[in-house]
Amino acid sequence: MADEVTAQRWLRAITGSAALLAIAFSATALVVHEGQAVLVTRFGRPVRADSAPGLHWKLPWPIDQAIWLDLRRRVYEGGHTEMLTRDKKNVIVRTFVVWRVGDPLAFAQSIGSEGDAEGKLDGLLTNAAIGTLGEHDLSAIVSTNPEDLQVDRIEQELLAATAPVARSSYGVEIEQIRFERIALPEENVRAVFDQMRAERRQYAAKFRAEGEREASRIRSEAELEAARIRATGAEQEARIRGQSAAEVAKVYADAHRIDPELYRFTRSLDSLDKLVTDQTTLILRTDAEPFSLLQTRETR
Amino acid sequence: MTRRRAPSELARLGAPLARVLDGAWRRTHWWLALLALLYAASGITVIRPDEIAVVLRWGRLVGDAAGTQIHGPGLLFALPRPVDQVVRVKTKYVWELPIESLSESPQHPAYGDTLDPLLVGYALTGDQNVVHVSVKASYRVRDPADWAFYGPKSDEILRVEVDAAMVRSLGEMGVDHVLSDGRKLLIAEATRRAQEGLDAAHSGLALVSLELIGLRPPSALADDFDAVQSAFIESETKRKNAQAYAQDVVPRAHASADAAVQVARADAAAAGALANGETSAFLALHREYSHNPAVVRERLYRDGVEKALGLAQAVRWIPPASKSQGQHIRVMVAPDPAGGRRPPSPPVPPPQNPEEDP
Repeated sequence: MADEVTAQRWLRAITGSAALLAIAFSATALVVHEGQAVLVTRFGRPVRADSAPGLHWKLPWPIDQAIWLDLRRRVYEGGHTEMLTRDKKNVIVRTFVVWRVGDPLAFAQSIGSEGDAEGKLDGLLTNAAIGTLGEHDLSAIVSTNPEDLQVDRIEQELLAATAPVARSSYGVEIEQIRFERIALPEENVRAVFDQMRAERRQYAAKFRAEGEREASRIRSEAELEAARIRATGAEQEARIRGQSAAEVAKVYADAHRIDPELYRFTRSLDSLDKLVTDQTTLILRTDAEPFSLLQTRETR
Repeated sequence: MTRRRAPSELARLGAPLARVLDGAWRRTHWWLALLALLYAASGITVIRPDEIAVVLRWGRLVGDAAGTQIHGPGLLFALPRPVDQVVRVKTKYVWELPIESLSESPQHPAYGDTLDPLLVGYALTGDQNVVHVSVKASYRVRDPADWAFYGPKSDEILRVEVDAAMVRSLGEMGVDHVLSDGRKLLIAEATRRAQEGLDAAHSGLALVSLELIGLRPPSALADDFDAVQSAFIESETKRKNAQAYAQDVVPRAHASADAAVQVARADAAAAGALANGETSAFLALHREYSHNPAVVRERLYRDGVEKALGLAQAVRWIPPASKSQGQHIRVMVAPDPAGGRRPPSPPVPPPQNPEEDP
């Protein structure tokens, strides 16, 4: 019985101490997560900022108070700003900034909240953009000639013009500035449209002319090729016929050489056969064969 | 004898509270023990197959290198809050985000001869032409620690980085290149630049792909662009017609040339065969002739004349000429009633009278 009472007492003591410890811990411990910083104020005056993640301590309320700040990177998109380039062309530019709280103490003292930070950044950004773009031609940001393009350099110049001020004045670290939009004022777009229209017409005419020329080239090349093929064929044909005529002539000549007189005679008979038709009138001497048979040997 | 001290005023006042607490303790201490156990086990977390997890101990990431920080799918034994905090991230899931800030919005369709840059999205090409472009970005989380603790909001950073990359990439290409065969290059360049930007912003995101949803000139110029397209198609048609003509005329010429050559070969073969045949016949005749020339000659002559007499329309006989007059038989060829031209008849050598032969 006595043991049970002792155990009960111990349990009560442990539970009570744990509860007291938990209360003390929650009043004094600061758990700083990754991507966070905590600003400790003593009677309202900022005394230190802890940005390393882990367990930190403070005096209990109402002496010390903790303000948590988000150190995540944030995106701020500036407004559309119309500006003049060095070659006196109006251009509308919108940039965006990737920023984070770099110095929590300076940030809390100079700005206090995130919304105000963006207001400050906007001013910095607009001034820097106007100043920087005024030193470059429009072709430095849009051009088909890679040598003209200087976008990386301009973005670096914008960063150089804003980052140090943002760091020292507001505790803000600007990590990236890039052009999100490059546009033309409304009145200039009209001229661009006219120019685009003229270009299109020119292209249409060019395509038509090129098509015509190409088709004509293909046709004439084909005709030339066909003529060449036909000529080669004709040449080959003439060669074959010539060769054949020579061979035939040789065969007949060989035959002729054996007995020229008989050859001439048989050829003459052949010719006679070919020449005499049903339209032919033959005139023969009476002493020629076969009429000569009707004559006496004496009369002959 | 010891005298019990009288209870203090405080103890006397607290006695009812102590009795209530004591009673509550007696009734709930096992339940409290169970709750304590449950609390101790509350850090055990199940990581699903498409997730990975990182553990924060007192807010600090556990592990030094990325490999030791990340826990794969399965059971993860962590301490209860506030000591440990388990952050689970879906790293295999591919998210999609349509980005249409550089295209016409349905609320502000662009008609007319100009565009208000504040209302209508567009980008300038390198040759200062205007195009509307809209894309769909597919992405996933690559670095869970950066994404969860240090990176900007995914949708925001993706939209601005892709827009910037698109503006930059379009700004170095000509409109014709962009609208025809340059789309692939445009997407490749924009993807590369957007990923560089996402990495520089520690977004922890990987761009899986950029897909062009729309890329077109302003509506006001659509007809002009269509006219160029028509001209291009027309030109291609002409070219293809010419190619078809070429593909017809060249083989036809080949066929005609081949046919002529074949005919010539056939004619040559026929002429050769005829010559050989006639020569063979002549040789056979000659063999006979050499044995008995007069008879053979006489027979040939008679055969020839008879055949000619049979064929001829008419035969006229004339008395033999005197010695001084022509001794030749002349074969007169009557004009062709069909009007066809005939070759002039060659003079036929006079047949030698077989009787005059020796």
